[in-house]
Amino acid sequence: MTITPELIVFGMLAGMAALSAVGVVAFKNAVRSALCLVFTFFILGFLYFALNAEMLGITQIVVYTGAIMVLFLFVIMLLNLGASHVLEEKSDPKKAVGIAFGVSLAALLASQVVPLLLKFKAPIPTKEFGSPQVIGKVLFTDYVLPFEAVSVLLLLGVVGSVLLAKRRMS
Amino acid sequence: MEGNSLIWLTLGLPILGFLFQGLCGRFLDKTVAGKKLVGLLAVAPVAIAFLIGVMVTKSLNPSKAVVVSSIPWIELKGLSVPFELRIDTLSMTMVLIITGIGALIHLYATGYMSEEKDFARFFAYLNLFIAAMLILVLGNNLLMLFIGWEGVGLCSYLLIGFWYEDIANAKAANKAFIVNRIGDWGLTLGLLLIATLVATSPAMQGETRLFSYDVIFQHLPKILALNPAMGTVAALLLFVGACGKSAQFPLYLWLPDAMAGPTPVSALIHAATMVTSGVVLMNRMSMLFETSPVASAVVCAVGAFTALFAAIIAIGQTDIKKVLAYSTVSQLGFMFVACGAGAYWVGMFHVTTHAFFKALLFLGSGAVIHAMSHEQDMRNYGKLAKYLPITFGTMMVGYLAISGVPGLSGFYSKEEVIGSALAGDLALTGALEVGKWSGWICLIVAALTAMYMTRMMWLTFFGNTEQWRKLEPHHGEDDGHHHLNADHKPHEVPVSMWVPLVVLAFLSAVGGFYLAQGDRFEHWIMASQIGAKVPPPTHPEGIPLMALSIGAAALGILAGLAVYFKGLPAKEGWDESLWAKFRLRARDQFGYDRLMVNSVTTDSAAFSAAANSGFDHGVIEGIGEGAGNLTKSLGGIFNSVQTGLVRMYASVMLIGVVALVLYVIVSFGGVK
Amino acid sequence: MNGVPLAAFIGLSLFMFSTGVVGVILRRNPIVIFMCIELMLNAVNLAFIAFARYRFSGIGNESQGAAGQMMVVFIMAVAAAEVAVGLGIIMAIYRLKENIDVDELNLLKG
Repeated sequence: MTITPELIVFGMLAGMAALSAVGVVAFKNAVRSALCLVFTFFILGFLYFALNAEMLGITQIVVYTGAIMVLFLFVIMLLNLGASHVLEEKSDPKKAVGIAFGVSLAALLASQVVPLLLKFKAPIPTKEFGSPQVIGKVLFTDYVLPFEAVSVLLLLGVVGSVLLAKRRMS
Repeated sequence: MEGNSLIWLTLGLPILGFLFQGLCGRFLDKTVAGKKLVGLLAVAPVAIAFLIGVMVTKSLNPSKAVVVSSIPWIELKGLSVPFELRIDTLSMTMVLIITGIGALIHLYATGYMSEEKDFARFFAYLNLFIAAMLILVLGNNLLMLFIGWEGVGLCSYLLIGFWYEDIANAKAANKAFIVNRIGDWGLTLGLLLIATLVATSPAMQGETRLFSYDVIFQHLPKILALNPAMGTVAALLLFVGACGKSAQFPLYLWLPDAMAGPTPVSALIHAATMVTSGVVLMNRMSMLFETSPVASAVVCAVGAFTALFAAIIAIGQTDIKKVLAYSTVSQLGFMFVACGAGAYWVGMFHVTTHAFFKALLFLGSGAVIHAMSHEQDMRNYGKLAKYLPITFGTMMVGYLAISGVPGLSGFYSKEEVIGSALAGDLALTGALEVGKWSGWICLIVAALTAMYMTRMMWLTFFGNTEQWRKLEPHHGEDDGHHHLNADHKPHEVPVSMWVPLVVLAFLSAVGGFYLAQGDRFEHWIMASQIGAKVPPPTHPEGIPLMALSIGAAALGILAGLAVYFKGLPAKEGWDESLWAKFRLRARDQFGYDRLMVNSVTTDSAAFSAAANSGFDHGVIEGIGEGAGNLTKSLGGIFNSVQTGLVRMYASVMLIGVVALVLYVIVSFGGVK
Repeated sequence: MNGVPLAAFIGLSLFMFSTGVVGVILRRNPIVIFMCIELMLNAVNLAFIAFARYRFSGIGNESQGAAGQMMVVFIMAVAAAEVAVGLGIIMAIYRLKENIDVDELNLLKG
């Protein structure tokens, strides 16, 4: 296994992503967790670019870091769960159990998956892979039914969230 | 349309009238001209239907019933019920009575109800009633009879409760509807039983019209010959239905309360037509009753008892419409006595004459009430003859007719009823000749009838004093909207109201005589009596029937005159402490009504409360709670696992996932 | 990134996924729990794209190469809807109880 520049860049990105992912779980303050998550998603977007999936990388940054995370932060602010209102995390057996079993899950899966894929190198990519044209074409031909179903789902989500968040006039 | 299909027009016109009144009437009846138009369009369909009825009757061959078929209604395997009409002498007689008297009463109502704000609603109901009643009498199968039966019940409910703002009227409407439910239960069971019997007939060769009369009449004799007890059961069930609709003893109690409705309604529905549908049913199914002496005896006994009971009660009434209501119940009893005695055509004869004079008397009382600004208590009347000449004259004719004065219509039919009961040998239970007893009771009731009608007439039109002149500010039961006071001037009714009175008076005077000539009516109705073609004798051997009837009428009238000639006697005035005990009890229906109503309201509520506290709370809930506690205690063993902590559930899930992955790795060997 | 083996991406994906799982169990703040779920979803997305990229040889039709990416698109859409509804629920609960500690919200207690 030779160290290539690509590997170095990947290692840096992956390390940052993993660290901030741990940060999401570790920070007691919800705002900090959210910011860590934003960072994670951002790095992930870069990784998508690195995998030639340009369209999805853009989408990742716009949708996740742009929209969803803003929603999270907005709710955190709204419910006043920032620094002033930190939920006291009591130590309890669940913590140990969670960490132990989470680590064991990762270890077990990695032990099975990683050795198999170590030799797996990427083929030469075509220009089309991950381009908006291809994605769009496939989305609106082969996947048009799921696409429509998802559109209905999104509509329901909008209606549902409006109903839930509405103030009851009583 | 050729001859007999015209009968659909008779049925359709009132329905069209109902639709028009119901849909457009409310926009028209706000103005005087609009009311005139609505009134015209309410009277016209019924009047035209009457003319068509006359045409169809003229072209009818009495010995041959015509069935006019139409579209199918219910089509099942082994059962088909088409919409079909039966034109025969019985149904056409009823059609003529309904549409003829109906048209007159519609005309009367245009005057009587002219002050109403819900003018069109009233006529919509009235037209709907005519349509439903026609379906009842014209339908050629029991299910169409049932539609009509329920339809007239509905209209009766709507019209009794026409002034629904008043809680008393709403209660009366509910009472009528609920009591009729009991009768309808019997009718439903009866007609289903008949259809079931017909279906089991061995001779049914693929015939599916189980409810149609022609099929029933064809197969019933054989079936009843095999199974006479079933015939009795079916007949008695049908009679329960007839009791409800025709206000016979156990179920009569809705009819007096039904007088809460407007007077034209009382005249049309609760005197002339709807309440006679029980008699029509008995005539239709006469074959069934003829084969069952027991059922006939029950019919006779119930009819006789009702006649007597209602007549006694009528003597204690002070409300003019209540007197007429009990009189109606009593006269219906007469009709059932005739039917029970086997002289079905006599029942129809009395239906016809009674329709004439009772409609007349009701309309006349309506005119009096109208003139006395809606005061209905006879103790406030007196000497009205000079104020209301037309009303007085016509009502006098009606009064003489109902009392059984020779020559007028009531005399003929009543004499036939008594005669057929005394001569009839159909109504038997063992050795007890119920028919004969009923006949003698009817004779007594005839005298009572003459007496209470005399009382009513004299308190209203004669006497020495005009009672309302000495009205005090407080008196009796205040129904909230009469403004009768001492300087009130009664006024004669408008032309639209007295024309029907005159026509009905003419019919009451000569109708009976005309129909009795040469036994005209008997042959006419007997033509449609499937079954025994031989009518029972109506003139018993060795009893001077004519003399007895005239004697009874004279006795009643003279007794009435002796007591009431001078008007209101002190013993029946406002001071009820002076009343005779018996009369007070009679006014109270001897407590029967209260007993019935209480038994189904307060008493049954008390019973329910007891059942609730004892049985329900004790036994049922004990079982329920026991079962609940058992499962709870069983579940309690496991429910400590359910902490409600979502995170714990997630941890357990994670443990499970790890265990699953481990298992897969171990069992499949994993990656070497 | 031709020099990077697929295992590296999948390893990263696994690590992030497990972090998310642990976060769901450890944290009591429902919003943070939600974030952890998003983290898990993104880990899966990364795995999808990595597999798609490393499988795709340029031969065959486009939809074969795009299948993994399609999955990612749909996951993003569903995640967006889920976040909208979930945050709405959290708001509603907060309005009702003035408290969103999941350990206090034990309506499921048997």
